[in-house]
Parts: sequence; structure tokens; C-alpha cells
Amino acid sequence: MIIIKKYFFYILLFTSITFSSQITIKEVLEKIEAIHKLPQDITANVTLIQQKASQGIRKFEVLYYRRDSDDSYLIVMLYPESEKGNGYLRVGDNFWMYRKNTRTFQHINRDENIAGSNAKAQDFERRPITELYEGIKDSTGKELITEEKLGQIPVYKLEIKAKVTNIDYPIKKLWVRKDNYLILKEESYSSSKTLMQTSYFLKYTTVKDKFIPVDQLYIDEFEKGNKTQVKITGISFEKLDDKIFTKAYLENLSK
Amino acid sequence: MNFIVYIALRNLLRQKRRNILLGISIAFGMMILVLANSFSRGMSEIIFNKIIKYTSGHISVSFSQNGNLYRMIFKDGDRVFNIAKNKIPDISSLQEAIGIMARAIGNKGSDNVIMIGIDPYSYGTKKEEQEAAENFKIIDGNFFDLTNPNLENPVLISDSKARTLNVKLHDIISVRYQDINGQHQTCRLTVAGIFKPVNIFMSAPILLYTKNLKKIAGYGPHDIGGLYITLKTDPKKNAKKWTDSLYNAFKPKIAYAYGNLSYKQKSVSAIALGYKNDSLSKQILMDSIKILNILPPKKPFGKDGIAIGFLLQKELGIKVGDSCIFSYQPKYEDKNYCQKFYVTTLIEETKTSIDNSILINENLFYDFYYNHWPKSYDSLLVSLISFKQSKILNAFVKEWILLKRAKTTQELQKQIREIAKIKSRAITISVQSMYESASVVLGLEVALNLITFVAVMILFFIILIGVVNSLRMTIKERTREIGTIRAIGMQKNHVRNIFLLETFFLTLFSCICGIIMAFVVMTGLSLIKIDVQDNPLGMLLVNGHIKFVPTFYGIVFYTTVILLISVATAYFPSKKAARMSAASALRHYE
Repeated sequence: MIIIKKYFFYILLFTSITFSSQITIKEVLEKIEAIHKLPQDITANVTLIQQKASQGIRKFEVLYYRRDSDDSYLIVMLYPESEKGNGYLRVGDNFWMYRKNTRTFQHINRDENIAGSNAKAQDFERRPITELYEGIKDSTGKELITEEKLGQIPVYKLEIKAKVTNIDYPIKKLWVRKDNYLILKEESYSSSKTLMQTSYFLKYTTVKDKFIPVDQLYIDEFEKGNKTQVKITGISFEKLDDKIFTKAYLENLSK
Repeated sequence: MNFIVYIALRNLLRQKRRNILLGISIAFGMMILVLANSFSRGMSEIIFNKIIKYTSGHISVSFSQNGNLYRMIFKDGDRVFNIAKNKIPDISSLQEAIGIMARAIGNKGSDNVIMIGIDPYSYGTKKEEQEAAENFKIIDGNFFDLTNPNLENPVLISDSKARTLNVKLHDIISVRYQDINGQHQTCRLTVAGIFKPVNIFMSAPILLYTKNLKKIAGYGPHDIGGLYITLKTDPKKNAKKWTDSLYNAFKPKIAYAYGNLSYKQKSVSAIALGYKNDSLSKQILMDSIKILNILPPKKPFGKDGIAIGFLLQKELGIKVGDSCIFSYQPKYEDKNYCQKFYVTTLIEETKTSIDNSILINENLFYDFYYNHWPKSYDSLLVSLISFKQSKILNAFVKEWILLKRAKTTQELQKQIREIAKIKSRAITISVQSMYESASVVLGLEVALNLITFVAVMILFFIILIGVVNSLRMTIKERTREIGTIRAIGMQKNHVRNIFLLETFFLTLFSCICGIIMAFVVMTGLSLIKIDVQDNPLGMLLVNGHIKFVPTFYGIVFYTTVILLISVATAYFPSKKAARMSAASALRHYE
């Protein structure tokens, strides 16, 4: 589930191309921020292949609907069979968990963990990156942003720290393409500056001039051997019907 | 009377075999009853003095923020400690309760663990400290190294967990966990001791010094996650009384921050109050306060609203859309805290403290209120209380939400879920005695007592059938004898009393024998060492031994009950024997 939320964050993140020569971390974040908000509704199929050293390989598949205009989204589990039909619905301030077996909706808190995972309801909210993170400065007051190459691609490498407390990782390093500001790699650190996770955005596709990371790889740096691959298909920016973001729709979908 | 007692005792020896067999049955029943009662009492003592005492305290105070059961934090821990100490004079120890789930990696081994905070020096006496230490049978290292400042985050770990993680004494364990803010963190722990768990539940946790755990979990020095209180005297009797007292002490007052409101170069004293989000409270505010001006398109007392009192407007010349700064002295910070607000609403004069107040939506209010807990001004509270009779007071938020006394753990969780529904950011406080917080464990005791009671009653029912049957046979055999003694002048009631006393003495002697047998069996069973590390029932043993706690009053009570039942059972056959006419009894022939 933690990977699902990462994925959706990046769906929202990469949508346009801009250029700049002299740039600060704030400006890079603002450019990311500018391309962050989706002008349209989105529908997508997301597949997660989770590999854990102790548990082998597990696959999850979800159907995702999102509409930013009223902070609504719907997640319906498609695979594995044991989870099929379960879902999560967010409309405004309300957030419900639906369990197919009992056919009940349970009101859950935005601060609460979802399905026993590390993901929280608030992680699915659209949260502007500039409100969450700011650039880190060294002892001389200089921002930690450098130009380098990731493989053969020129990138900005920037180090950012959390401005608020209620986020997953307090420190991050981002490798952002110089030409189009797509994030290629991200390292997430704990407060003690221990590397916790490395994320690679392997492949982007364009749909209606928007960049979508359709292949992502998350490597657990704490427990070696754990990794998750996220693949996305069936992306659509068609306007979503109001009825989709209702309890009845989720219930019917799960039948 | 003496001769009746003499005859009754003599009669006991007449049918030796029958009486011995019946006596053995009663003695066996009594033995089982004493054993079961002593076992149940022993278990009860273990539950109260070993399990509940160390797992949830006799009284517990728990906190949760944003309706999230796992976000256990309260920012004014010192106040909580003071309330507990002032209200409960009978405190044996105060333990902070913090537990965090984590993923641990040792030497090529990993496992899920729960990090639990304990304070080995929080117990009242040296004896209790030692008792707590003995609860963890340390097989390598030292229990009190938990607080060793020379070790990096020292921990105590069970031997089975040490095997899974492949670590030894002074090895390093890395853990990944989420701190109190939900951020992923990692840290290094040093194995300071390896203990043999007394039961399966003790295998999972790794124990840290509470101060260290609070630090790595992101708690501030004045924050508290929960509180377990153990009582010195008779917790079974006193827990409820002290919990009631503590509950009353936790009743919240109106939440406020007193400071200065600054606009441009001017600054005036002001009170910040939070108003509730629900529609009823908004209606109360709308009915009680008239709006002078509002920033379009805002609605009065909306979710991001800031309303300024009449006198503040007048003195500062502030208008809607302006930004102002409210600063106040936090309780635990040296510097004043400043919060910027955009004024959305101006309100008319009310001739109450509201004229000097900024009314802030509860979401915005709690954000700074909890993160920078304001200093309290008791005299100010008096002026706020001056409009206590006013209905408007119900529209303002309180310091926290005190949950009703839940009867069970499940009921408490349900209450917190209800809080989640109203989406309040207020901290909820729950005060519970062990009867509520450990309702599941206590339910185990009740269930075992019930099973024991039913089993013993069935056993006695069978025995009593034996008593009745035996007595009928005796009376039938002695019919002519009854006729003889009645013919020579013995009264009816004397005849009846002979039989009753005979049963009474038989039962009494049997009970005494049963009690002696019970003590012998208890001693024998207590000596047997039972190795049940992997069995949850192992928690009901003391150092691998069954604990029996026979009580004098319990034994006297059961003996009396059995004597009464036997005598009552014997009464009707005895009465029937006494009513026989002497002539017909003498004519009786078999």
C-alpha cells in the first residue's frame, strides 16, 4: 500500500516541461509543484509486484479513480482474490474503508493506517510539495543543489528536508532531469540520515501531453532484497461521473 | 444433648465400610473444591499482581490524537503526572506506556518486533524494583543495564528473539519504525540483556528504557504517550475508587491561550479561543454573536475562520482581510510563540470576555495549542467562567475530550472511532481501571472460576445423592432400633437429631480429611516444574510452577456450605425416621 501512494504522488507530479539555467531548490520544487496539479480527472490500472526476501513475490492490482476538484478518489482492489472487491473512498473530509465480505463501510481517520499498511489516508491527499519540503543549506548557507549526470542524462541533484512533521520521510535527495524536470531517482532518508529507500522512475509515457511514470522501482535499502515494481496501464483523463465517488458505486462494483 | 452426640458418633462406627466410602467421596469433593478455589485464587493473584500490574497498571490513562488509536501523545505530561500524584495517594509506581511496532535486523536475521518502554527505577521500593527485575529472567547481561548511558539505546530481548535475529550480548540491532508523526525512522539498538520469557507473549517485545524510546519515537521531554498506575494496597478493592477520583480530575476546562494580538505597530492583550466545527455549535455562535463584517466569500464561523472581538477591533483598528499576529508564552518554551492569522470576521460587542478574544476554528486552534501548549492563567479562567451560564460556552473547544468510562477495551475503541467520525483534532483522554482496560484478561479469570464452580457442583450433586441413599439405607436398617428407643422414651426430635448429627460429623471429618489431602496435593503440584514457553497459558505460572493460594475464609466458607448442604439433605429422611410410630417400627421385619 505504501507503494500505491508513492505511485499516485508521482502520477500527479509529472505533467509538463519547462527549462531554466540558474535555478534554486525552491524554483525546482515550484516547477514540480506547477506540474503537480492535474487539470483533469484520472482513471488508471495499477499493478504492484512486491518482492520480499522472506515472503517471495506478491502481486496487487487496483483500479484508481481520482478527481482533484473536490478532493475525491476511489480505490478498488482487483487482485489478489482475497482482497478483490475491497476498496477505499474519499470524498472531501470523509474517508471510508469498504469490506466486501461484511458489506460494510467503516469511517476511518485521515491519520489512520490503511489495511494494516504504512500508508495513511492523508497520504492520498493532494499535498503540494512546496508546502511539504524545502531545500537544505550547508554550513555556508549554500543550497545543496548540484548539476551532475545520472548515467548519460544531465540532472539537478537536490537535497530537501521536511517543513511539516506528518510526512513519510524527513529528508530526500532528488535527481531531476535538467531538460524537463522529471524526477529520475529519489533517495529517502530518516532523521538520522540513514538511507531508507531508493526509487527509480524507469519509464514515462505521455498521455495528452502529460508525463506519467508508468514503470517505477522502489528498493528497500533498510532490508536488503525487498523491492517493489509499479506498472501502470489504462490511463485515462476522461471526465469522471459524479456517481463514481459514492458508496453505492463502490458497493455495486464489488458485487 | 451429650448422649445424642455420643450416640451419633458411635453410630458412625457401626457401618464402617459404608461410612468410609461415603467419607472418601465427600473428602475427595472437598479436596477438589479447595484445590480449584486455591488455583483460581492463585491465578487471580497472578493476573492482578503480575500480568495486569506490568501490562496495563491497576489504573491507566491513555491519550490519542485525531481519533487515531495509534497516535498516542499528550503534550502536557507534567500536568498528567501531577494530577495522578495529587489525586491518588496510594501510588506504588507510575509508568509511562509507550509501544512501537518495528522491523528489526540483527546479524543476518530479521523479524517484526514491538519496542516497549519500561523504567526500572519507577517502582516505589527497592523490593518492587527487584521484583520487576525478576519478572525477566535474565540469562545474559544485566536488567539494570537498560539505563546504561555507555550503551547506544540498550535493550532487553528474549532468547527466542535473539536467536531469530542471530544476536548476542552487546550486538547491534537496527530497527525501522514510524515515529509519533508517522515518519519512517531507523536507529541502532544495543543488546544489554537477554531474558528467558515467562510466557509466549513476552517473546515478541524488545524492551527499552522509556526515556530512550521516547527520544527515538519523537516524543518531546514533556510529552507523554500513556500512563500506567499501580497501587500499593488492595488494588482489587481500590482501583475503581481511585479511577473515579482521577477521572473527575481530568474533566477538561475551556481551552485558551492568553497573549498579545499585534497589528501594525499596535499590540493589545487578547484571549484566543477555539470554536467547534459542528453545526450545532456554529448555530449557537450565530444566535449569540452578531457579525459586523465578513470577508467574502467566507461564511461566519467557517473552517478557516478567524473572528476578532469588538474591543480588539477598536483598539487595533483591524479590518477583515488584514493579517495580525497573536503571540503567547508557551508553558514549556522560553520564547513567545507567534501565530499569524488572516482576519475573516469582525463581531459586534457582547459585553463579555469575547470582546477581548480571537475566535479561531478548532482545527487551526488545536494546531498551535497542542504544539505550543500555552501557560495557564487561573485568574483568566475565572473571567471566562463568568459567562459559564451562557449557552455560548458550549460552542468553544475544551483542552481535550474526556471519554466516558468504557466498560471494556472494545467499548473504548468504539468510542475513539466515534471521535474519528466527528473529525475533531482534539486529544482524547481515557481513564480506566484494570476492570475495564484488561477486561479480556479478567474475563479469563471469571470464565475459569465459572468452569471450576460448575464442575465442583456437579461433583457434589453426585456425592449428595450418595448421602441421601446411604441415609435411607441406614434408616431402613435401624427401623426396629428406632422403635425400641422411641418405646423407652426418646423424643422424636432426639431421633431426628441423632441422624442429623451423624451426617454432620461424617461430613465434618471428611471435609477435614479433604482439606489435608488438598494441601498435600497442592504441595506436590507446586513442586512440578512446567515448561510452557510456547503456550499462552504459561503466563498463568510463576517461574514455571502452578501457584495455589488457599485462603482460610475460603476453606471455612466451603466447609460450612458443604455441612449445610449435607445436613439439609439428611433432614427429610431423618424427619421421616423420627415420625415413625414406635409400635409400627417395632413390628418392622425384613
